[in-house]
Amino acid sequence: MDGRGAPSDTEVVARVLGGDQEAFGLVIRRYEAGLLRFATRMLNSRDAAADAVAESFVRAYRHLASCRDPARLRTWLYRIVANRCKSHLARRPIADLSLEEAPPVADAVDNEAALERAEQLAHVERALAALSPEKREAFVLKHVEGLSYQEMAAVTGERIPTLKMRVHRAREALFEALKEYA
Amino acid sequence: MKLGLLLALLATPLAAQSVRDRLEGRVPAEALPSVDSLVQVAAKEGLPTEPLVQKALEGGAKHVPARRLVAAVAVSLGQLRDARDLLVRSGDEPPVTPTEVTTVVWALRRGVPAPVVGRIIGALPRPPRGSAVHAVADLVAHHFDPDSSADLVIQAIHQGLHGERLLDVSVAALHEVQRGRSRGEALALVRQELPNVPPAPKPERGAVVKARRPPTGQEAP
Amino acid sequence: MNPIDPRIHQVLDGELAAAALPPEARQVVERLEAAAALLAAGMPAASLEARVMTAVRRPAPGGARRVVRWLLTPRSVTFRLRPAWSLAAAAVVALLALVPLERGPLLGEHEGVAQFVGRFPNARSVHVVGTFNDWRTGTIALEDHDHDGVWRAAVVLPAGTYEYMFVVDGERWVPDHLADRLVADEFGRENSVVIVRPARR
Repeated sequence: MDGRGAPSDTEVVARVLGGDQEAFGLVIRRYEAGLLRFATRMLNSRDAAADAVAESFVRAYRHLASCRDPARLRTWLYRIVANRCKSHLARRPIADLSLEEAPPVADAVDNEAALERAEQLAHVERALAALSPEKREAFVLKHVEGLSYQEMAAVTGERIPTLKMRVHRAREALFEALKEYA
Repeated sequence: MKLGLLLALLATPLAAQSVRDRLEGRVPAEALPSVDSLVQVAAKEGLPTEPLVQKALEGGAKHVPARRLVAAVAVSLGQLRDARDLLVRSGDEPPVTPTEVTTVVWALRRGVPAPVVGRIIGALPRPPRGSAVHAVADLVAHHFDPDSSADLVIQAIHQGLHGERLLDVSVAALHEVQRGRSRGEALALVRQELPNVPPAPKPERGAVVKARRPPTGQEAP
Repeated sequence: MNPIDPRIHQVLDGELAAAALPPEARQVVERLEAAAALLAAGMPAASLEARVMTAVRRPAPGGARRVVRWLLTPRSVTFRLRPAWSLAAAAVVALLALVPLERGPLLGEHEGVAQFVGRFPNARSVHVVGTFNDWRTGTIALEDHDHDGVWRAAVVLPAGTYEYMFVVDGERWVPDHLADRLVADEFGRENSVVIVRPARR
């Protein structure tokens, strides 16, 4: 997966565990975009997502030795972030659950197409936010992060048939919501 | 009556002038004539104009394209008309006051179904009804049944609660849900407690000490 | 919620070719894929590297550091006093409460205090804009005195209902995550709503 010369995850983990602290920067650069996207979709807030992912990276660094299969570092990181998001959602008061943070509409380069796209995105985000956290997690891991069902099982600790069922229900609910927008 | 009419005639161009002053430079120039005319239409129909001015200023601040900005102001005018019609249908004598129209717009925008708003208006024949509709809207926003929410607030009114105290009714029900009650149980519990729902805390002294008065809207940014 | 054609799930799960679907089912697939693509795109890269590496380089707290942290963390403390001492303590507290240490603004009968709080850990500035300041950016700044990422402002406003948003770093418009009242802004987003109650009740 890595380009020529780029160390594999196993090599990076070995370097960090061997005392090369700065090598952990490679892990961050490699996975932060996907993890941030996943956490943002789970929490509906970029700021909360940035906090969750940053805390997860620090936690991952401190417990790196417990990552039993460094070749599967990616799913291990998703698992930490997923747990962090679940604790965050559990702590949120009821009043906070429906809140969202869509991308800013107020941009100097706004134009009709961008606005239309922002509206569509806001609609999809609202539909996603209306799903239960489990279904939302399953849909985002499958369709936004592109994980296989095996990888999703490693991230969530759930069985594959359960995950499939959640993804199917999420698709149905999202499609219903998207029909209303048409 | 004649004096009132004269004052109204004099006031309209002055109000229009000040609206234009407020909008100039803050909304796209190409949107200005349309917004101005929508504001004048609202004024002629006896509807509040401030919500339209605010919508235009908001669109300007958010850099919304002119066409969308005008469309949003037109939507706001439609909401004001719907609110006025609902007030009249629910028993208010025309001309309805701008404050009441604004109150009903809030209720409808916050997702309270029109028939439920009508029931609240009927139960509170004399304004102000702002707190009552916000109390119901707060409950509806948290997935309480609209009719049951209105029942609770109307019962609170009958038991002597009014003004901002009605907001404490919805807060009490929401607290019960946060404690793990179902929505139905929460409404039943609060109904039993009426009219003794806990009042909202006053702002702490520290907050008041730190509070600032915002600059007036007319000052330069 | 209506179940969708099971073959649609099979296609989306990579178990069946899209060509095997009738046109209307293919549209459903396309619709869902477009929604997923929207969710995947347009996420600005916010690099966490500097923030994480700063935390990583910081040594894990040792014993002495943990003691200092324990001492500085707020905790509830219970005192047991003899009645005579508690009367004296009450008198001192009452005296302190009566002596005005700082003067705040005098609130009118129909005025209240709106408190705005937002958590924006990496922000350089946060302002609140809304119907109370004609949506003028830059007039009401929130402050983060202790640099913990929590920005606050308390503002005296006439009692009433207002719509507002936060503007972070002068360009990013975000709703208030702590507000539990939201309304559509007719521009495809939502504004937060605050109800200011008169402070003198």
